[in-house]
Amino acid sequence: MIDEILATLMNVFRSNSMQIPLIQPIVDYLMQIPLINILVALILWRPFFAVVIMPGLAVLLLYLLYIVWFERKLTARIQWRVGPLEVARPIRGAIQALADGLRYFFQEAIVHRDAHRPYFVQLPILAFIPILLPIAFIPAGNAVGIKTPYAIQLIVAFLALIPITIIAIGWASNNRFAFVGSVREALMYVAYEIPFIIAVISMIYLYGSGDPYVAVEKQSLVPGAILNPIAFLVFLITMLMATSRLPFEIPEADQEIAFGPFVEYSGMLFGLVMVLAYEKLYIMTLLFVILFLGGWNGFYFEPLGDLNAPLCLFIKTVVVISIIAIVRSMYARYRIDQTLRYSFSWLIAFSMVALGIGVVLGWIL
Amino acid sequence: MEEIKIEVPVEPPKELETLFLPIPKDYVEDTYRKDDFLILVGPQHPGSGHMRLIVRVKGDIIQEVIPDPGYVHRSMEKLAENRLYIQNIPLVERPAIMDSANFNLGYVRAIESAMDIEVPERAKFLRTILAELCRIGTHLYDAAILAVFIGHTTGFMYPFGIRELICEALARMTGARFTSSFIIPGGVRRDVEEKTLRWVYDATFAIEKRLKSFERIFIKNPTTIARLRDVGVLSKEEAIRFGVVGPFLRASGVEYDTRIVEPYEAYEEVTWDIVTADEGDGYARFLVRVNEVSQSLGIIRQCITSMPEGRYVSEQICDDVKGNFFDKFGNLVLPAGEYTTLTEAARGTLLFTIVSDGESNVPYRVRIVTPGWLYLRGFMESLKGERLADLQAIYGSFGYFPPEADR
Repeated sequence: MIDEILATLMNVFRSNSMQIPLIQPIVDYLMQIPLINILVALILWRPFFAVVIMPGLAVLLLYLLYIVWFERKLTARIQWRVGPLEVARPIRGAIQALADGLRYFFQEAIVHRDAHRPYFVQLPILAFIPILLPIAFIPAGNAVGIKTPYAIQLIVAFLALIPITIIAIGWASNNRFAFVGSVREALMYVAYEIPFIIAVISMIYLYGSGDPYVAVEKQSLVPGAILNPIAFLVFLITMLMATSRLPFEIPEADQEIAFGPFVEYSGMLFGLVMVLAYEKLYIMTLLFVILFLGGWNGFYFEPLGDLNAPLCLFIKTVVVISIIAIVRSMYARYRIDQTLRYSFSWLIAFSMVALGIGVVLGWIL
Repeated sequence: MEEIKIEVPVEPPKELETLFLPIPKDYVEDTYRKDDFLILVGPQHPGSGHMRLIVRVKGDIIQEVIPDPGYVHRSMEKLAENRLYIQNIPLVERPAIMDSANFNLGYVRAIESAMDIEVPERAKFLRTILAELCRIGTHLYDAAILAVFIGHTTGFMYPFGIRELICEALARMTGARFTSSFIIPGGVRRDVEEKTLRWVYDATFAIEKRLKSFERIFIKNPTTIARLRDVGVLSKEEAIRFGVVGPFLRASGVEYDTRIVEPYEAYEEVTWDIVTADEGDGYARFLVRVNEVSQSLGIIRQCITSMPEGRYVSEQICDDVKGNFFDKFGNLVLPAGEYTTLTEAARGTLLFTIVSDGESNVPYRVRIVTPGWLYLRGFMESLKGERLADLQAIYGSFGYFPPEADR
């Protein structure tokens, strides 16, 4: 009975497995060992590989460790400082984020008296659902979780759920600063979501489909950033607004409202809510790379086989985020009414122009 | 836009009864009966400093701000009554440690005016250099705080980086990075070598060069201008009525500077311009101080190039301070009377009054009126009608420093 189930699973996994010539000898060797072989087959099963390994969870954690360190190091270099150094000196403090995470893990997570206790504790964890769901739909070459021609629309829809959890976090905190922060988050949500969706729709018109495969194939010669530069610009700015990065770090403004919705969190819960914006940035940048920078088009090394596409997508994503990290040390924070004014005037106007370009180009191509 | 009234009766939060707010109980109930609510900013808020601001907001608009200062009150005036005149010098420079030379100078000039001491020229020039160095340091510190209040971390780090040069210059001249207690009745404590003065002269150019990069990244930054322009506006009449002092008064278009009106030390012998602006908004208040930094650099250069030779301490006191400091100064007794001096400290007019009974070697009363305390009213008035997010921007544009105001 168990043997039959294992054999069926093995067949399912082996029929749709990642082909990586570089590690093929090791895989072949492991396949001869009972029970280990089913694990190896599971990991190499394409849907599982895409969601859990690359570009999914495993590299997401790796990226979190990297970007927190890189952002601090880059900011420090601009500001005539050294930055994190003391944790692991030989690698220039590269595991500082891991040390901070460990500290958060062992710190007491205080739940204050006025908080709505169940929601206050579970919302930071619930907030991961809309973060992780889009990963299932983001393809990288052959590695794809759920293959659907509406993947881009679905990713945008799931991204729109994240601010709702943040607003709920602010409500459950029952604090005046958290309340102000949640209202700001709601206003920012209205401000960036409309231009963002119009920019994505313009690209869908341009490629004629919401299927990432079609989008990436049409960019094999010219990337989308050159085809529709205005949509590229609007997407970039709305990405900064959506992930509350610095010219628009309004909901979390620490000098004004002391981290806004997250003011009451401590310990592990704070660690969870702190990385929310970074994870959202990762998902949005994956979408950005697929829509504008040619997705997984790029290098092809024979020994890497199927791993080429996910690796290429991941490297492009990390490079884009590393470039975006510089805005933190360049700009001060706008006020909420200024941001709303910019967003509802020229940002929407630009996105309309981008939509026009997308429709015309989509008709020509 | 038509205002939509939502009349929902809300109970005032219980914590407002227990926090010892300096406002009547009716005020809290009255606030909550209307649409407004109270936000307590500080004293443990990242954007408040050592004070509490009781902000009454309606939606996002500030209706009224009631300050609750006094968290860093150290009773300087009372402490000064129990110390020798000379022991008070390190005490009176504590309220604003970045601005120590100006505070030191104000107190020492009050003693000198009581004892009719003529200060030698060289000492006057050295004192001017110290005062201007401290002015630059304070302005840089305030610029850094302003930058971090509107979320610009690079604008926070650059001025502190530049201020290291000021600290180094003060350390080479006086031996301490700040609070050097270098100015004493009759002159200064030690003569400063030609080599050190040459170093300070070169340092002014290094500061100017670094200020250029600060200007590129922060002063001319579009986000900075968007945040500071047209917020916290004080018109000329308002600024005069609320008793605003120093660069903040000059930013509203009033040409008043104690260094011009009642010149002291070497300010008559150097040429410099009084910096003013007409707008009276946050950006003008910031720009006035930025331009004052370059004026101060000019004053320091002129003082060093035209530094006269001669004594560094008046012969009415002693030949040489070294070795007999307490012999000469320990039993200082001022003639009976009241002696007042006005000094232009970095943040504005600073008043020192010493009352002496004529027989004891400690002051009968020392009165310090610091610029922070004087412009607190104008600061609170300028917040009315602005948005809650502008609270920190206006705070930073005033460079309000609670330890200085609370003494």
